[in-house]
Amino acid sequence: MTLMQFTLLSSFTLSMLGMTMYRTHLISALLCIESMLLTLFLATTTFMQTTQTTTITILPMTLLTFSACEASVGLALLVASTRTYASDHLNTMNLLQC
Amino acid sequence: MSYFLFLFLLCFALAIIGVASNPSPFYGVIGLVMAAFFGCAVLVGFGSSFVSLVLFLIYLGGMLVVFVYSIAMSAEAYPKTWGDFLVILYVFGFAFLILVFSFIFEVSDIMGSLTVDNVGLYVIRMDFGGVMLLYSIGGPVLLLCGFGLLLVLFVVLELTRGLARGALRIV
Amino acid sequence: MNPMILFILLFSLAMGTITTLSSYHWLLAWIGLEINTMAIIPIITKKHHPRATEAATKYFLTQTAASTLILLSSTLNAWTTGQWTITELHHPLAMMMLTLAVAMKLGLAPTHFWLPEVMQGTTIKTALLLTTWQKIAPLTFIYLTSNHLSTKMLFTLGLLSVMLGGITGLNQTQTRKIMAYSSIAHMGWLTMILTLNLNLMTFTLMLYITMTTSSFMILLMSESKTMTDLGLAWTTSPTSMLLLMLSLLSLGGLPPLSGFMPKLLILKEMTMLNMISMSTILALSALPSLFFYLRLSYLMLMTIPPTTTTTEHKWRHKNNTLKITAQLFIITTTLLPITPLVNKIL
Repeated sequence: MTLMQFTLLSSFTLSMLGMTMYRTHLISALLCIESMLLTLFLATTTFMQTTQTTTITILPMTLLTFSACEASVGLALLVASTRTYASDHLNTMNLLQC
Repeated sequence: MSYFLFLFLLCFALAIIGVASNPSPFYGVIGLVMAAFFGCAVLVGFGSSFVSLVLFLIYLGGMLVVFVYSIAMSAEAYPKTWGDFLVILYVFGFAFLILVFSFIFEVSDIMGSLTVDNVGLYVIRMDFGGVMLLYSIGGPVLLLCGFGLLLVLFVVLELTRGLARGALRIV
Repeated sequence: MNPMILFILLFSLAMGTITTLSSYHWLLAWIGLEINTMAIIPIITKKHHPRATEAATKYFLTQTAASTLILLSSTLNAWTTGQWTITELHHPLAMMMLTLAVAMKLGLAPTHFWLPEVMQGTTIKTALLLTTWQKIAPLTFIYLTSNHLSTKMLFTLGLLSVMLGGITGLNQTQTRKIMAYSSIAHMGWLTMILTLNLNLMTFTLMLYITMTTSSFMILLMSESKTMTDLGLAWTTSPTSMLLLMLSLLSLGGLPPLSGFMPKLLILKEMTMLNMISMSTILALSALPSLFFYLRLSYLMLMTIPPTTTTTEHKWRHKNNTLKITAQLFIITTTLLPITPLVNKIL
């Protein structure tokens, strides 16, 4: 495992851990999702560069497009939950607990 | 260039720790901007300058600006910085985790792959040719991306639609 | 919601799953998953109730995390093997990540907590979509990579979800939550049989979808959201209550009904491979699920709670049963005699 792969793998793991541990704000979780996608972007581009596969360049571009989509859906959910709950704290979302 | 790459990767990992360690969103978004910036630098070091430019312009210039605006939704009176007790606990915990990972995964090769000074600046760059494929044989993927963006337009409009005119929504 | 927008959303919901089903490359499969997730979110929040917003947020966070994990596992696999075909998943760590991510998307046991909450926050129709159509795309991944997945890990996940789906469903009073726990338990059965017999898994999935759809049709018709509602639902239509009881018992797997067939075949397959103790545990952990189905049937059909109503029919009589319910019920209740045929084909 090269240093690049190691850094990307561990930073993905850290972002995921950061998302799954207790977050105060919804937007912090969205930021963690964005950093996961950024790490994936770097990972696929590195794959393209190290194996000299030209055709796989499509992958990071598509990834960027869909991460923009995800970010916008996440921000729309943020707006919706702020409008219904008057804050974006994750611990206000307790209506559905068993 | 290898030393630069090492430095950039280190800064990238630190910035990711900055996002993941649960500070206030103000500081988290700064961490994400720094991570995107150093990610671009890493990509330039690896020799894919066009993809790096796209990342810089679209990710940093487009999406993160929207994020920075949206942070205003979660304004706090006393934001937690990275010096806050809980956050610094997370920071040290994550740094320790990276240390543990480095023992598990055995980083054999420091750079391992081609940096930009191995290939040189004068060969045909891979990423230009690759992105070009999106307009020839990769056309269906481009169409799918366009469809996804169109779908998201409707999704966002439908999610944020309010039934009343006030700031808070009446069910 | 505007019907045109609803059409676009439902179209992309179908298109996302079909893209995932028909793809050979990780990228296209991931695109399909993403389109599918994005399309269902406004369907979940169709009524802008705070509960619906919360359900959509929870659904979004879990599904997005799982799908990025799927893409990471494929990237990790590509780093070592150099190719992006879905069926060639050789890296052990990537395999493990994919299994966990799919478990998170399906709602298998250690990562199942989002499913009952999301189902509770939506309408009954959307809950039907979540338990049936949304399971197909994640199951495609473990179907395609089933040659490389770890049998032990899938057995652990499956056994845990059968047990937990039965036991945690015991103290629920909301019908949608009960259906969610039943879905968790059934997904456990699917993952148990996945590495042993793929065709049997597909067959179990098809039968599960049919049984769940027919149960949800009656819940939809009588608008029963809690067990208390079910107790008075006989006033709308006693016949459909009988059919609901039959389809719930079929979900539980009682012999003369067709839900018994996949359970019998799965247990037969496992005993033939000499996994006696495992199959005994599996058969026994289906009992708590059977208990809550039986409790539902008891409440809605075998006892009449004391009421002050004197009429036999609800005064607000709406008959909005879909035509397909009849065909679904035939499949749900009377398919058991073809077991030898199915056994031969599989």
